[in-house]
Amino acid sequence: MDVKEKILIIVFYGASILSAAITLIILGFMVVLSFPIFSEGLFFNILTKPWSPDQGLFGLGPIIVGTLCIALLALIISFPVSLGCSFFVGILNPKGLGRHFKKFVELMTAIPTVIYGFVGIFLLVPLVREIFLKGSGLCILSASIMLAILISPTMILFFVQSFKTVPQNYLNAVDALGGNIAQKFFYVILPNTRKGIMTGIILSFGRAVGDTLIALMISGNSVAFPGSVLDSARTLTAQIALLIAADFESIEFKTLFVCGICLYIITSSGVLMARYSTKKKRHHI
Amino acid sequence: MKPNIKMCTKNLDFYYNKFQALYNISLDFHECKATALIGPSGCGKSTYLKCLNRMNDLIPKTKVIGEVKLNNEIIYDSSLDVVSLRRKVGMVFQKPNPFPKTIFENVAYGPKINGLKNKAKLTEIVEKSLKQAAIWDEVKDRLNQNALELSGGQQQRLCIARALAVNPEVLLMDEPASALDPIATQKIEELIEKLKSKLTIIIVTHNMQQASRVSDRTAFFYMGKLIEVNDTDTLFTNPALKQTEDYITGRFG
Ligand SMILES: Nc1ncnc2c1ncn2[C@@H]1O[C@H](COP(=O)(O)OP(=O)(O)OP(=O)(O)O)[C@@H](O)[C@H]1O
Ligand SMILES: [Mg+2]
Repeated sequence: MDVKEKILIIVFYGASILSAAITLIILGFMVVLSFPIFSEGLFFNILTKPWSPDQGLFGLGPIIVGTLCIALLALIISFPVSLGCSFFVGILNPKGLGRHFKKFVELMTAIPTVIYGFVGIFLLVPLVREIFLKGSGLCILSASIMLAILISPTMILFFVQSFKTVPQNYLNAVDALGGNIAQKFFYVILPNTRKGIMTGIILSFGRAVGDTLIALMISGNSVAFPGSVLDSARTLTAQIALLIAADFESIEFKTLFVCGICLYIITSSGVLMARYSTKKKRHHI
Repeated sequence: MKPNIKMCTKNLDFYYNKFQALYNISLDFHECKATALIGPSGCGKSTYLKCLNRMNDLIPKTKVIGEVKLNNEIIYDSSLDVVSLRRKVGMVFQKPNPFPKTIFENVAYGPKINGLKNKAKLTEIVEKSLKQAAIWDEVKDRLNQNALELSGGQQQRLCIARALAVNPEVLLMDEPASALDPIATQKIEELIEKLKSKLTIIIVTHNMQQASRVSDRTAFFYMGKLIEVNDTDTLFTNPALKQTEDYITGRFG
């Protein structure tokens, strides 16, 4: 091995260690900065009490619940739609209309979130208000629908990509047995792409949880446990964005780091769960 | 006695886009007989085979001219149901391609997509097909094992069982033993011998001995054309054309 090669290896090793380290450093940083909260015995209050800084209550419970509700609902809306679209683009019509549709979807990933936020406020929110005749329309449902639109391109592109990995062998076998295209999809393509589909879902979930602007603009930002999807709610990201300007010494400000940790935990557990589920099932597929 | 013609093509031309892969092929397949298709690589054997169950339909920009008939009915007809055609004309590929599922599910797949749900009936069909494919004894205790854990030869017989499970009338085999060792190959050949009593077999092979062992008739293809077809014995011992003789004696190809 000559010197050049050695240097290359060191550079690549260094880069991967650095990027792994950064995620850990960020976690450590947040834990350290939120330490005062833990040490003052406020931790349980944070999870159980409501958010009411004036009375000295800094509960994040409603916000965590709000975050999960919005992100999960967005996934629930987006998943079937994305699966359908990717079926169309990847299998039913990959050459004709599907190809153009795919280009369009790729384009969608490049649209800044704030645009989605605008569309949400001016089109979706009034619509939701009129349909359900309840509240302002700034609610979990509106935010989730908008988020669903935001994350579906990621899902669609991921799904389409993973459909391509199904060996032609298997597809030939279905055709030779007289299977139609739907049977091909459900019996062969889906079971063989479970992993890719899971990865697409996780990435999208991460995006849904991590997105700040749409939730901030559309979800209404009220800090109470939501009772229905038509209630307003606040997400962890919106909470951070709203409070970041508060003064540095206040407890309020310090709770932001707890928010950060919660976000961290939510997205990482998503990843771990998905890993686990694909690992266990791999035997079958 | 005149043999019963199960399947035939008349003046069949086939195009991949502008490239003509088959020229004017007229060939009859006798019922409950095995016909071997031989010829050098690239001469169009696989293409021809795939015309018989319309697998070529799936390749874009292909064109078929001429007639293909099954039981005296034209199969390239817009009113014909491709699904039911492929059920009658099964296919086994060169490389074993079981689904990454259990042995049972592999065989039950065909009947299932044809709407059979009854578990007892499925079990019965699976057993019968595996027996027909001469693999039952080797797998009967592990039907729930993943099919990919079988050996290559076993996988190929499993694929044959999968094709048999829908009760085809014709079985197309594209070099079914070329990826297998001599013993596994022998098993497949014995199997073909056995299956002939019930169905019509059309087999592509590069192996002259195999063609002469398993087939009743042999057709020699060259550059997209059918050069000669005859009873296997006659073709191998007394070919009509010099070209055929050169090929079967290994002088070219
Ligand atoms: N999908 C395709 N698109 C375009 N041309 C093709 C396609 N498949 C086959 N061909 C061409 O058609 C001709 C016949 O191919 P085919 O696969 O039928 O030959 P073969 O006799 O089965 O050969 P082998 O013995 O190597 O399997 C070849 O010249 C090949 O290049
Ligand atoms: Mg071939």
